[in-house]
Amino acid sequence: MPVPAIEAVGLSKTYRGGVEALVGLDLRVEHGEVFGFLGPNGAGKSTTIRLLLDLIRPTAGTATLLGLDSRTAGIEARRRIGYVPGDLRLYDRLTGRRQLDSLARLRGFADDARRDALVARFDVPLDRPIRELSKGNRQKLGIVQAFMHDPELLVLDEPTGGLDPLLQEEFRALVRETIARGRTIFLSSHSLDEVQHIADRVGIIRAGRLIDVDSVDALRERALRHVEITFAGSVEPGRFAALDGVRVRHVDDGTLRLSAPATAMDGVVKAAAGLEVVDLVAAPADLEEIFLELYREADDGGA
Amino acid sequence: MVRELFRRGLDDHRRALASWCAGIGAYALMLAAIFPSVEGSADFSKLVQSYPEALKSLFGLTGSVNIGTGRGFVDTELFSFMLPLFAIVLAIGSGARTLAGEEDAGRLELVLAYPVRRGAAVLGKGAAVAVEVAVFCAASYAALALSSVAFGLDLPPGRLAGGLLGVGLLALFHGWLALAVGAAWPSRALAIGVPAAVAAGTYLVGGLHDLASWLDPLRFVSGFWWVGQAPLSNDPRWSGLPVVALAAVAALGAAAYLIERRDLETP
Repeated sequence: MPVPAIEAVGLSKTYRGGVEALVGLDLRVEHGEVFGFLGPNGAGKSTTIRLLLDLIRPTAGTATLLGLDSRTAGIEARRRIGYVPGDLRLYDRLTGRRQLDSLARLRGFADDARRDALVARFDVPLDRPIRELSKGNRQKLGIVQAFMHDPELLVLDEPTGGLDPLLQEEFRALVRETIARGRTIFLSSHSLDEVQHIADRVGIIRAGRLIDVDSVDALRERALRHVEITFAGSVEPGRFAALDGVRVRHVDDGTLRLSAPATAMDGVVKAAAGLEVVDLVAAPADLEEIFLELYREADDGGA
Repeated sequence: MVRELFRRGLDDHRRALASWCAGIGAYALMLAAIFPSVEGSADFSKLVQSYPEALKSLFGLTGSVNIGTGRGFVDTELFSFMLPLFAIVLAIGSGARTLAGEEDAGRLELVLAYPVRRGAAVLGKGAAVAVEVAVFCAASYAALALSSVAFGLDLPPGRLAGGLLGVGLLALFHGWLALAVGAAWPSRALAIGVPAAVAAGTYLVGGLHDLASWLDPLRFVSGFWWVGQAPLSNDPRWSGLPVVALAAVAALGAAAYLIERRDLETP
């Protein structure tokens, strides 16, 4: 089996005071894929990333980056990755140019041509002190420093925060090109919308637990359809609510609104067939909704 | 790689360091300019001799120190308090800022996500603190040597260098202690407070152990005692300097060890 780009086994982090930020994370990110790491704020995304980078130490479990143990071979691992922190802090007094130069010296490697191309592409202002830059312009510096040495693996924690839609699109293009050249990208975000068009697979984390890993296509298949059926007479919602996966949202005289995944559709139609149907409308799947649904389910499970 | 952290550390404090050097230079020159008016003044010596014993002991105004001479004057006015104070405050500020301050500001996050060993990063920052202290001591030497010639203080160059070496080592110990505290806990307040308290406490022990017998056994923990008082009048205590240097190295070693052991604070 090839060495995974990222592998976590039973990775856990409990902070002092007993806060379980991450519980038994098992995760495998393959070479050459874009892996979207999704979850609401405070779910444990940044904790996971900081464990991978050996900025914080696990309470239990292990992690490897490019086959290198993050604790014992962290230096070698970090040589081969690029990182955009979720909360990027730079040296306010330096200009963007001097900040990038300083980071290149810290890494001991500089590819000026590649850096200049990235700077031009994102239109990064290099000659003003960082304290005068907007959040978006600082974020561009964060992206440039992560990509400028052309690393094998990129760990990006909410990388497009503060970027305008045009630049977000430019960033997605950069991700696609990077993947096409055989690199791996681990992209954390709180919004499915941000990753669904570039990620191959997504992992969804909530309250420190990974609750689902699936391909974006499979997720879409599982997305709920919204169905509104109008019957000639009044309807007893129980016969629909009893079906697996179906949620009855609204009953009003003869009108019934429910949501169900594709797999439950056969049951819905058969249940409706016993009655006189006046109208049936089905709305297309909404990916964002299944995402929210997964959050909620995990919530119910935890309660 | 780590050299970049050394460079960054120095670069960030360049302006502060320049102000400190200008400050001690101006202070030294101002004091020296006063000296001709008190030189050989019996009244001034009498005034000083009438100070309470505790104060005299604290400032090292023992029989061998004659404040009417240039060396006694500089010993009393600079080496007894102001010079170590300046140097130590500079060093603690630098040591606390470069590690705990950077962590507080969230800037260590990106730096340590680079291929940099934490211990090595601390050593690079420690080297920057050492260079700052050295520059400050060199500036003090220059100002005092200049004053000595300009106002006839007649300061012996060897003793002056030795005295400043003692002050520099004391400052270095406290600066590296600030690094060690910052390495152990991510708090700039502690990284300033702990070494400052150590400096104040050991200063009192070093100055007063003669007067209070219960303090006497504690004198060995005071860097000020090892460095000795009034280096221009008495000769610097050369044998004590390596002890302070060793303590400083131990503090830096502790810093490099402690930073490896804990979680980096979330920005």
